[in-house]
Amino acid sequence: MNSLHDSYHRPLFPRGPGFGLRTLFLIGLSLTLIFYDMRGDTLKPARAWTAYALTPVIWLAAVPARLVNLARGIDTRNSLEQENETLKAQQFVLSAQLSKMEALEAENRRLRELLASSAQLPDQVLVAEIVAVNQDPYRHQITLNRGSRDGIYIGQALVDAHGVMGQVVDVAPNSCKALLVTDPDHGMPVEINRTGLQTIAVGLGDERGLRLPFLPSNADIKNGDLLVSSSLGGRFPAGYPVGIVYDVKPVAGEHFMEAYAYPAAKLNQGRQALLVWNRGAQAEAEAAAAAERAAVQEDPDAAVRAAGADAPAAATPPAATTSPGPTGAATTPPTATPAAPKAATPNGGAAAGTAQAEAPKPAAPKAAPAPTRKPDPPARKP
Amino acid sequence: MSRPSPQAVWAAFLLSLIVGLLLQLVELPDSLSAARPLWMPLMLSYWALREPQLPSLIPAFLIGLMLDVLYAAPFGQHALGLVVVVYLVVRLRSFFIMFPLWQATLALIPAWVLYCFLMFWIDGATNHRPEIWLRWLPAISTTLFWPLLWSVMELIRQPGGDDD
Repeated sequence: MNSLHDSYHRPLFPRGPGFGLRTLFLIGLSLTLIFYDMRGDTLKPARAWTAYALTPVIWLAAVPARLVNLARGIDTRNSLEQENETLKAQQFVLSAQLSKMEALEAENRRLRELLASSAQLPDQVLVAEIVAVNQDPYRHQITLNRGSRDGIYIGQALVDAHGVMGQVVDVAPNSCKALLVTDPDHGMPVEINRTGLQTIAVGLGDERGLRLPFLPSNADIKNGDLLVSSSLGGRFPAGYPVGIVYDVKPVAGEHFMEAYAYPAAKLNQGRQALLVWNRGAQAEAEAAAAAERAAVQEDPDAAVRAAGADAPAAATPPAATTSPGPTGAATTPPTATPAAPKAATPNGGAAAGTAQAEAPKPAAPKAAPAPTRKPDPPARKP
Repeated sequence: MSRPSPQAVWAAFLLSLIVGLLLQLVELPDSLSAARPLWMPLMLSYWALREPQLPSLIPAFLIGLMLDVLYAAPFGQHALGLVVVVYLVVRLRSFFIMFPLWQATLALIPAWVLYCFLMFWIDGATNHRPEIWLRWLPAISTTLFWPLLWSVMELIRQPGGDDD
């Protein structure tokens, strides 16, 4: 190493700003960029163009993984037959369960109609392929091959066969980026299936999964409890498994406990994911929030008139949003019973809360408890 | 053996940067990905030590921005880290090339640790906090890869012998 050819001579009279000055300038520039990137969208186009220019590099970097997959795809006839057998058996069991499920769903719908509740089981889904995984081990993001052309929207939930995977955070025409539930930036409202306790699950940033912070110290939660998604916040469809609790411990010196859970979804296996439309509920919630805002702006005398005026506005968004998908016809009957908007409002306040906190930053815990804005039921007489 | 022509040096420089970017992106199994060496600091430090007449700061900054986009990190995070590492290496160049290879390997450890720390620090400042000790693993793997990288690059440079 010390046998360097020393044809390099330091210039006797250097021109231009010195090395240290240039470094300082670049450091300042980086810090400014970081600052502006964290505060708003001014740098989005620059990011998009760089990403576009780097497409060949990304493609090249994916080649080895693709080759490995190809090599793994070569299989013996014997194992294929075996796999076929198991899949057939599994399919038989599942279809039996599904037929029962259909009956239950119908029953559930009837019961909900009796209760005049507007909650729906989301039906519309789209299978997407995972085309890239972020290689930073501390950022759990995946890229999918569906984009705004398929009707994907920011905040859309992503599930696999075993549970919730995450949500869409960035949409391009032909692809979208999704944040996984284990990312430290990700928080989602969950419910403990056994007791119905509502809380927040935050990603831990490593393979161990999820953290449930700030549980009351007498909360009824124990190892093995199943966490399911809750529809508070309006982003995730309710009832999908999210994780299984493996550790509950009190925090030293504090009045609350923390629980830890493994994610239910198989996050780093398989190349496919299911995008779920929860837009019906979300659009209803947004419409309710808009109506509420309008009602607040109007003076009390005109409140009744306002409620009458935005009734059609509340009815249109669901119809508009179900159109992009292929099977969207049956998802949301927006012409529900008169009580439907009322039932949607508690959801609405929470949805407005998370919509303001756009990306699921630590602001998420604020959105989960009871909505701060009070809906105004008396004004609403359709 | 004569010194390679400037054009050849430039071509090798750009090629190695692209290769480094690819190595940084190639999918690794989950157990290994935390220990992925810091290829871009490695490559840039090599060139800053070996060919000081090449501009190293601006390429470091641009590559850093590319890494930020590829890793979906805040715009400027890796750029800052790379610029600081390159500055350190260039400033202490006379110190580093005094040593034989194995001692230089040890002497460069602070640079990698500084880079890891900057990444950790900016992640913390931007509210992205995975608090794990594994974050310092790249400093070790990078240290192990430095002699390898240096030898391979020297081998490519002069396949004949080592008379410079």
